[in-house]
Order: sequence, then structure tokens, then C-alpha cells
Amino acid sequence: MTELEAQAASAVIRRGRASGFRRIGVAEGLSAAFLAFLLLAALAPDLISPLDPLGIDPANAFEPPSFGQVLGTDESGRSIFSRVVHGAGTSLLIGVAASTIGLGLGTILGVLAGSGGRIVDFGVSRFLEVLFALPGLLLALFLIVIVGPGALTTTLAVGLSTAPGYARIIRSQLITVRGSAYVEAATVLGLGRMRILARHVLPNTLAPLFALGTLGVGQAIVWASALSYLGLGAVPPSPEWGAMLAAGRTYLSTAWWMSVFPGLFIVLTAICATVLGRAAGNRTRRR
Amino acid sequence: MSRPPRIAALLVAAGATGILLLTGCAPAASPSSPAAGPTPGGTLTYASGDAEPTCLDPHVGGNYPQALISGQFLESLVSRDAEGEIVPWLASEWSEAEDGLSWTFTLRDDVTFTDGTPFDAEAVKASIEHVQDPATGSSTGYLAMGKVDNVEVVDAGTVRFDLSAPDSALLESLSQPWVAMESPAGMTRGIEQNCESPIGTGPFSVSEWVKQDSITLVRNDDYVSPPADAAHEGPAYLEKIVWRFLPDSASRYAALQAGQVDVIDNAQPDALVAAQTEDGITSLDAPRPGSVNRIEFNSGKAPFDSEEVREAFIRSAGVDDGIESLFFGTAERSYSPLASVESLAYSDPAPFAFNLDEANSLLDGAGWSERDSEGYRVKNGTRLTVEFPVSTNQSIPAEQSLFEQIQATTKEAGFEVKLRLLDLGSWYAALGANEYDLVSAPYTKVGPDVLRILYHSDGITPAPSGYFANHAQVSIPELDDLLTRAGETSDATERAALYADAQAVVLEGFYILPLYDQQNHYLLRDRVAGLRALPTVSTPTFYDAWLAD
Repeated sequence: MTELEAQAASAVIRRGRASGFRRIGVAEGLSAAFLAFLLLAALAPDLISPLDPLGIDPANAFEPPSFGQVLGTDESGRSIFSRVVHGAGTSLLIGVAASTIGLGLGTILGVLAGSGGRIVDFGVSRFLEVLFALPGLLLALFLIVIVGPGALTTTLAVGLSTAPGYARIIRSQLITVRGSAYVEAATVLGLGRMRILARHVLPNTLAPLFALGTLGVGQAIVWASALSYLGLGAVPPSPEWGAMLAAGRTYLSTAWWMSVFPGLFIVLTAICATVLGRAAGNRTRRR
Repeated sequence: MSRPPRIAALLVAAGATGILLLTGCAPAASPSSPAAGPTPGGTLTYASGDAEPTCLDPHVGGNYPQALISGQFLESLVSRDAEGEIVPWLASEWSEAEDGLSWTFTLRDDVTFTDGTPFDAEAVKASIEHVQDPATGSSTGYLAMGKVDNVEVVDAGTVRFDLSAPDSALLESLSQPWVAMESPAGMTRGIEQNCESPIGTGPFSVSEWVKQDSITLVRNDDYVSPPADAAHEGPAYLEKIVWRFLPDSASRYAALQAGQVDVIDNAQPDALVAAQTEDGITSLDAPRPGSVNRIEFNSGKAPFDSEEVREAFIRSAGVDDGIESLFFGTAERSYSPLASVESLAYSDPAPFAFNLDEANSLLDGAGWSERDSEGYRVKNGTRLTVEFPVSTNQSIPAEQSLFEQIQATTKEAGFEVKLRLLDLGSWYAALGANEYDLVSAPYTKVGPDVLRILYHSDGITPAPSGYFANHAQVSIPELDDLLTRAGETSDATERAALYADAQAVVLEGFYILPLYDQQNHYLLRDRVAGLRALPTVSTPTFYDAWLAD
């Protein structure tokens, strides 16, 4: 009897200990380094590029990448490097905030569905299915049409439209955990319902959230950039990556650097977030 | 030893060819025509970058996208030739009464609409009444016909316009596509159906309209009524025109390069520069008449109700460098309210000289003496914020970038410019709700009478469509008087002097910041011959055009 209890209680602890000592891969290392660079750019952009991202210099417009201007200049002579660096904060903030909103809402809905009894589960699940009927980006566009464009709306829209996906994952994870041997053991031991939920079910259900969230940040950044690209996100002259990509489109044949570099940063951020998210996910599963 | 000179000679020859090619690209009525004569037949594909009209009848509302296409199937009473003279079109002659209060037009008697209805005095009366009917919701045509009290049918071939006051601009107004002649039978079908396929007397007629994609125009084989300055008579050469909508400028140019389309409008500065070195593509530059592209200051409300604040904005707005770099030398800075093609344009660079120090002292003097932590000026706790709704349909990317540069330079003086990029509908809504401090709304009209529409205080009152043209909300009794007198005088010298005075009032009162002519560049493939822009509002006319292959 005591052995069973100990086994159930230490399930969470063991997972944590095991993952801490795993080797870090090259891809993961590079991804972490790039994201760290972005984080620094977001927190102290002036440290990396002291040039004013909004400072115009029409005489030096459309300069190709050079030693002075590593990523070239745009149509108003603004430094692309400085704009990309200063835009990191906006793009990351939108990405992180949107996935936090998505995850938060998803968790609430998922936990409600997974533990709230049959009727609640039925209601929430059908509601999620209705939301699933609409593609996420369409849902985001719909919200923007109602509220109006802007960085805040974009964040909300992307966050809300990713929530149903998270809710589903969390609901199924919760149901799996609830049926697991250690929860059964805890039940057999006569622990209270709330205690089992708090000590065993929730920690094990929410463990993959970190991995999900990291994956989600990448996706949210891509979505937010897509909305800005369509002119529905950040407003000019904000150095948001999607908006920069859109501005460069006009000059794609003559000044490729105007859209290639912001685009590269969007892609790299999404890839790095995905690599780290997967690595974290693998560790959670391997316990 | 003979090689280097030969290379030099080749280079000289190549340079000379280049110069010839470049001059070939200069503004011209038509591109270089192949040796063979016009060949009838074929389908021409046109790609428009302007907004797709919601209604093809230019009487309804009345904007440039409508004029672009309706010129192919609707015609006006008179036209204007390359020298600026009014020439006969559907009306063969006309005369003004002694007192200037009525005009009599003699109409062509051999013209029928494409639905078989004869073109006669009744049709003229019905067309003008249609424009003036509030239910039609006309703005451009309605304002142009402002002085027309009544249209009287004298007999089938003669019609008389009775005016409330002499109108020196009546013929210029009537030459515009927004007051084109339409079939009375067509108009009685109701606005909805008439919008789908207006019926005119033109060389083509509307055959199909696939929304968000294209409009197909087919040749009118019974056509007899070209304007007096056209190059030939009888039906058009082209059998069919496919009028596509390709809003993205880069894809529009790419489609032209690939030969998928034959003509594009709204060619962007970068495309114009690229086209100069591209084989098989020529350009046609046709600046629009009427107003220049300018930023108007809403003087009807704070903060631009103060002349000092308006001047401060102008003095701190860096414009010249931006025009140079964004337009690659394809646009020239203007200092006039009127387009350079208008012979009565009055130009004065003095009020627009950049001077940041003066801007700062003007703002200090106007009470905007404090600055907040972000460097914006503040007065009684309110930031010096100005709303600038920008229509993405009317302002091309280069112009949007120019506005961003103005936003950046005026920030130095402490202005916070809020640029909002809007689609045409939301933009009209923002103007209608008076939610703007700055706006760029080019207005196309034949002749200097556009000044009355844009700066007479009557222009603050909306037309039936809800659109009002005096966005600067200028309301000065002396200016009203100058514009009224200029519109009524039949003395050309007096008219010129009055319009010059009126333009000086607008410029010196800092109501507008002129930028450049309304850019109107077309690019066409060499297989297209005989294309010209109609010298009325510079829309292309495909009547004389033919395909050289």
C-alpha cells in the first residue's frame, strides 16, 4: 500500500529529474542562441543597433546591403537591420502574448471539458467543433473586421483563433491522465477528487504545455505577420516584420533586401521556436 | 589597332539608340507605330490597377476608375483636343446666348445607342436629369452641372441648356465622362441594372462583367460618332477588350512583361524605370487635369483651424527629397493647386520652403509650447495629434511612403501624425464623419473650374452621394467671390486673373501642401498601336487602337 502511494506521488518528480541531464543537440543550441539574440533585441534593441528604426534619409534610399548598412535600406532610407532588430520586440510580443492567450483560454476550455462531467464535456466539445469548422486565420480576419486593425487586435485575434486547438489537446491529455495507472492507484488509496486533480491529473496534463506554447509562438508570429502583410496588423511606420515584408513587395524586383530579410527573420524565428518546442515535447514524452 | 575605335563607335551607336529609345518613351500621343497600316480584329487585354468600380455608370458617384472604363462605351457632347480646344463630339456645334444664361447645342442626327434607341435631344435631357436626380447619387457630374437649371428640347436635333448664372466652364464640364450621354431606355431600367451595363453610343459595349476579375467589352459595329480629333472613322479596329483588375502593381507589371496583358495603367515609378530598359514596352504619360496631388488641411476643426499650425506643418514637412527618391525622377514637385496641364495654373514655391526653426516658433506662438516625453507637442494636456486617413486605392505605395516620411519629418516639430491605411469605402466614411485632419484626395476635372468645386465654401455641403469636395473646408467670402466671378465671366483675360488670385489665396492661407501632378502612366506592349489618352481627363481611348500582329 505505501509503495503504491509513493509510486504515484513521485511520477511527476521523476520526469523532471530525468530531463534535466539530457544532452543538448546542435540544432537546439543554435535555435536557443537565435532566440536569445531576439530576446536581447526585444529587450535592448539599441544595444544591437543604435540607429533609429524610424529615422528617414531619402538621399540614401534603396541602398543594397553593404558594410555600413548590413541589410540595406528601404524606400525611405531607413536601415533594414535596425528595423528588423527594433521590430523583434513587437513581433515576439505579439507571438508570445497571442500564444499565452491561446494557451490560457485553451487550458480553461480543455480542463472544463475533460473534468467537468459528461454534459459540460458535450457542450464544450461541440462549441470547439463549431470553432474548428472555421479555419483559424479566417476566424482572426473575422475578429479584425469587427474590432478594426492594429497590433492589439492582431494579438487577440491570433490568440483566440488558436485556443480551440489547444483546448482539444488538453482535453484528450487530461482524459488519458485520468485513466492512467497512477491516478487509479491514487483513487484506490482513497484520495479526494480535488486532491487527485490538483496533485496528479493537472501537473501531468499541463506538463506538455511548455512544449506546445513554444511551438505556438512560432505559429503565432507567422500568423501575425500574415495579418500585417495584408495591412490588418501593425500600422505604418512601425517596424513590424510582416508590414516590412509587405512594404518591400512593391520593390521586389529592384530592392530584394527589403522583403527578403524581414521574411528570413520570420522564417528563422518560426523554425527556432519549432525546434525548441519539439525538443521540449520529446523530453516530456521520454520520461 | 582598329578594334578599340570600332568598339567606341559601337558604344556611341548603342548610346544613340538608347537615347532614341528614351525619347521614344517620352510623353507622346501614341507609341511608335509599326510600318503596316491598322489591321482590324483581335482581343486586347487591359489590366487596371485602379479600384474595380462598384457601378459602371459614371453618373453614379463619379470617380476615375469609372471614367477609365466608361470612356470605351459612353460618349459626351463635346471633347477636348491636344491643344486644349473644345471640339465637337455628339454635338456638332453650339452657341452661347448674349447674357450667358443659355447655351444651344446642335446634335448629330445619325447616332443611335447600342440598344437601338436614337440619340436625340430627349436623350440629352434625360442624361442631364439623371445626373441631377438625387436618387442617382452623383457627385462629380452633379457638381459639374451645378449651374444647369433646365435642359430644354427645342427639336429632335437641338437642345438648350438654361443656366442659373453664366458658366465659363460649361463646355469643359460637358466634355467629361461623368456627364456622358446614356440611353434613356437604359436608364429607366433602374440604377441596379444600369450600373451593370450602361448603354451608350461608344465604339464598344459591355458584354460581361465577372466581379473581382474582368469586364469584357465588344465592338459596336454600327459605330459612327468618334470625336473630331480621332484618327479614323467608322467602327473600332479591336474586336474585343478584356478589362482585367490586377490591383497589385508588381504582378501587373509582371503580367505585362510576360505578355499576358497588353496595356497596364497606374504604372508605378519602379516599373516605369524598369520599362525604360525593357524591350517591347513603351510608356504613355498622361497627367490628369484638374487638381494636383496635395495634402489638404482640415481647417474646419482643431488643430488645423489655426493658420500658424497649418504653416508649421508645411514648414516642417520634408517633401522634395522623398519625391526624388521614391518616384525616381518620374514626378515633378508642384507648388500649385492646379495640374501642370492646366494653362491657368498659378505656382508659388515661397509658402512651401522647408524651415524647421520657423515651424517650431510658429507652434510656440500658437500655444503648443510644451512637449511630452515622446517629443510631441502638448497644449492644455492635449497632444498635437493629427489623423491622416489614406486611401490605399488612391495613394500608390510610393505616395504612402512619402506620407511616412512627412510623418517622420513633422515629428521633429512635434506633430504626431496618425497614418491610417484604409480601403476606399472606409476612407469615404472617415471623410464623411469629419474624422480627418489631413487628407490626400486628388480631384480630376477639365479646366480651372475645379477650384470652385474644391475651395468654394459651397463645397463643404455634401453632394447627394454624401461626398463633399472641399476637404480643406475653406470658407472665405472673398475667395467665394473670386471663384464665382471667374466662373461667370466670358472674358478670358479676366478669368485668368481671377483664377490666379483665387489660387494665391489658397496657397498663402496654407490650406494645401501641393505634391505633384496626378500621376497617370500607362505601359503598353509594342504590338499595341494607335492608343492615345483622351485630352479631357486623360483616360485611354481604344477607338483608334489596333494590334500589330
